[in-house]
Amino acid sequence: MRRAFLGEFEEIVLLVVAACPAEAYGVTIWEDVQQQTGRSITMSAVHATLYRLEEKGYLSSTMGGATAERGGRRKRFFTLTALGVRALNDIQEMRSRLWQAIPPGKFQLMGF
Amino acid sequence: MKTTPKTGSPPRWADWLLETCLAPRLLEDVQGDLHEVFHKRVREVGLAKARREYTWAVLHYLSPFFFKPLRRIGNEAAYPSPSLLNTIMLRNYLTISWRNLIRNRLYSLLNIGGLALGMACCLLIALYVYDEWSFDRFQAGYDQIYRLTEQQKQADGIFDVAVTPGPLAPALTKDFPEVAQTTRIGRWSGVLTKGRQAVEAQEMLIVDPSFFSLFSFPLVKGNANTVFRGPNEVIFSENMAERFFGTDWARKNVVGQLVQLNTQQTMKLVGIARNPPTRSHIQFDVLLPFEWLVVNDKWSQKWNSNNFHTYIQLRSDPADVSDIASTFGDKIKNRLKQYNGDKDTQLLLQPMSAIYLRSNFAFATDWGRRSDIAYVRIFVAVGLIVLLIAVINFINLATARASRRAKEVGVRKTVGAQRVSLVGQFLSESLLMTGLAILVALLLAELFLPLFNDIAGKTLQIPYQLPLFWLTLIGLTGVVSLLTGLYPAFFLSSFRPAIVLKGVFNVRQGRSFRQSLVVGQFVLSIVMLIGTAVIYRQLTYMQTAKLGFDKAQLLYVRLKGDLQSKAWQFKSQVEQLPGVALASGATSNLVDILNSGGIEWEGQASNDEFLITNMNIDPDFVSTTGMRMAAGRNFSARIPSDTSSKLGAYMINETAAKRMGWTPTTALGKRLKHWGQEGQIIGVLKDFHFRPLRVAIDPFLFRYQPTNPYFTLLVKTKPGTVSRTLSELTTIYKKLEPANPLSYGFVDQDLDAQYRSEQRVGRIILYFSALTILIACLGLFGLATFTAEQRTKEIGVRKVLGASVAGIVALLSKDFLKLVLIAILLASPIAWYAMDRWLQDFAYKIGLDWWVFVVAGLLAIGIALLTVSFQSIKAALVNPANSLRSE
Repeated sequence: MRRAFLGEFEEIVLLVVAACPAEAYGVTIWEDVQQQTGRSITMSAVHATLYRLEEKGYLSSTMGGATAERGGRRKRFFTLTALGVRALNDIQEMRSRLWQAIPPGKFQLMGF
Repeated sequence: MKTTPKTGSPPRWADWLLETCLAPRLLEDVQGDLHEVFHKRVREVGLAKARREYTWAVLHYLSPFFFKPLRRIGNEAAYPSPSLLNTIMLRNYLTISWRNLIRNRLYSLLNIGGLALGMACCLLIALYVYDEWSFDRFQAGYDQIYRLTEQQKQADGIFDVAVTPGPLAPALTKDFPEVAQTTRIGRWSGVLTKGRQAVEAQEMLIVDPSFFSLFSFPLVKGNANTVFRGPNEVIFSENMAERFFGTDWARKNVVGQLVQLNTQQTMKLVGIARNPPTRSHIQFDVLLPFEWLVVNDKWSQKWNSNNFHTYIQLRSDPADVSDIASTFGDKIKNRLKQYNGDKDTQLLLQPMSAIYLRSNFAFATDWGRRSDIAYVRIFVAVGLIVLLIAVINFINLATARASRRAKEVGVRKTVGAQRVSLVGQFLSESLLMTGLAILVALLLAELFLPLFNDIAGKTLQIPYQLPLFWLTLIGLTGVVSLLTGLYPAFFLSSFRPAIVLKGVFNVRQGRSFRQSLVVGQFVLSIVMLIGTAVIYRQLTYMQTAKLGFDKAQLLYVRLKGDLQSKAWQFKSQVEQLPGVALASGATSNLVDILNSGGIEWEGQASNDEFLITNMNIDPDFVSTTGMRMAAGRNFSARIPSDTSSKLGAYMINETAAKRMGWTPTTALGKRLKHWGQEGQIIGVLKDFHFRPLRVAIDPFLFRYQPTNPYFTLLVKTKPGTVSRTLSELTTIYKKLEPANPLSYGFVDQDLDAQYRSEQRVGRIILYFSALTILIACLGLFGLATFTAEQRTKEIGVRKVLGASVAGIVALLSKDFLKLVLIAILLASPIAWYAMDRWLQDFAYKIGLDWWVFVVAGLLAIGIALLTVSFQSIKAALVNPANSLRSE
């Protein structure tokens, strides 16, 4: 199949969903993303990314867990699909291949 | 929806915004998430800030991403309903429409036929209106050109005249910087000769050199910048050049040739102008320079002689043109007082766009090609009425046949059709019908174009090459399909499936609506029917009315050139002809005499004045025209005092006698003074109509001044000798006046021609009322067919129980006749009011007789009965065994 293509923000969101210990939904994901990246991000950006990832088949969602604070509205819980897991793996593999390709001692030469 | 009140809630409008804009499948969790965060923030930063943040967050959701439908249907997302314009559904609608169309051929035919007739009318009328509208638009300065007109306050009223004095144009150019250029146009007549070639100009105009820069009339030969600087120059139109030099004039070297004007003056041909476009209010075939008039006519330089159409072009200001015109208009309004001390006359600006359609000037001071906005209005009104009736037909038939579609609607709704999609379906059906109808309409329009051109007095063609035409066609189709489709669409889609599928369907639903539509159609038809009758009766009345003289076999010959002074010689020779009974010199041919002047009379009160129309005649006039004396005697050549220059003789008509306070007998011997000539009244003639019957008879005065010119010779011919007399007359004429071609006419024909506009309106209304009735009957026929079908069983049962065919026909026709009767009752007052208004224009008119209304009503009933009875009789004749057999 074709190579997974993920943008940087999409990758972060996908990773956050994967890393979430409890059930991940809009608010928790949004907070985690801000915390992890240290950037201020609008919730609509997170929602849009989540839905796009769902359309692409990397995420699936189920509704549930209504609370009074939400006015009785259910949450949409996101979980990684097999395709999502593979996409993350692919990216990880590609990255480590590239890291390995860096000649040893090159970073030292540049003073790091 | 409300959450814990103690912590407050997010702004209502932000929530509303979110609920409207978000796709329904996303709304629940997004709004939930937003609310959750909101409540968290209320605790952290307070209500006000949280609300602001909430609103801000909501605004970020207003992007196409959040309200587009899902591309890949997710797990439990709500079923998105297929879009109204989904191709599968569209195809289904079209299939169903087509099947319906084919299955009910009769209805489709009636509908499409009616609509096509209506739209063909609309198309033709649109062509007409477009043609009228596009007049003069070829002029480059269309928006900046105005004509100066005068509003004169005279003794007997306020008159608008289109002519202005010659010096006005130069004076305005000098005094007002707003005036870019001016041109004066005067009218002249004459014959152009060269060697043996003689051609009479039909439209000879006298113009300033600026004529060619102010207007867009290009020269095909000659230089527009240098022509008309000298007096003895002339320009021909291409048509005139062809008449004068032959069809190959372009190859001859015509410019620079010398031609004779009226055999007296030598003019140099300095250019050939392109023929003026058909859609131009200015038409000409020969142009003379104003310089020529300056030399030949001293009146052209006087402030007190109104002879010219003065056109001005205002400087074009890109900011605002209309404003300049109105301020300039105010400035010149009372300017004449400064120029010639005339306090009672105002100058007005008539924009170029108003000249063709909205010129209504007194004393025949306007000339050139003119139409009347009234025609445009009548045409538009009639066209819309015809279209309306056709649309009503469609609506009627569609709703009447609703019961047939009820089951279909029920099934569609049961399987989940939304009302919107049903409305879409029925609209697409009417679109299909209208689309077919417009094709038929195009054919019909092409077919009836010659007839229409005849009525409208035009030479229109369907402009297939014009994109605007196709746009109009598409627009018309759209509008008509909406008009026809909307009501049935909403009516049909409103059925409740639970009821219609049980088979309970009330046919009477919407019946009163249908009935009022039928009444409406017939009201319109009957109004037009009555209108036609009244207009034609008035026309007949005017054409057969006793005018006070005998117009039969009365011929007139224009006296031109030398003949005006040689009238006696001509007359005596004509009288010798065997076919001539009598002949008389006169200054007019008795058709629409306008020549009037002031009068002073014995016993006149100091502030009492009026204008009297007059004519110079000879003693044979009374017997030639067959007028009658009311008192006194006729002029006589044997009584010298009749032609005396000191105290001459006058004859007046009865109205003039009454106006001056006399009876015909007491008027005799009274003295009066007209145009400085004193005279005694020797006879009073009975009143006669010297103007169209639109206006009342005015005072009239006859002069007998043989030394003054006569312009016309009236010839009374003996029955059956007209053609021979004419050829003999031509020979005499040619001998006496070889330079000017003979012009003659018949008085009765010219009198009839005065009523051409009424005749034309009459014909328009006649044709269109026939059309409205035809379309209305198409609809009635459809409805009758439908009713008969609906009541097949009832008729069967009635026949089994012994009803007669006649009884059943009466039963079925009764309902429709009731409607037509109501329509007659409604239409009569409307028609009465409208026709009464129309008749106000005529001083002599027919009464609005009640029987006209009765006849129109009976006609409508008859036609309706004929239409309905065909179906009724067919239904009544069906064998009940057949109609009752199946259940």
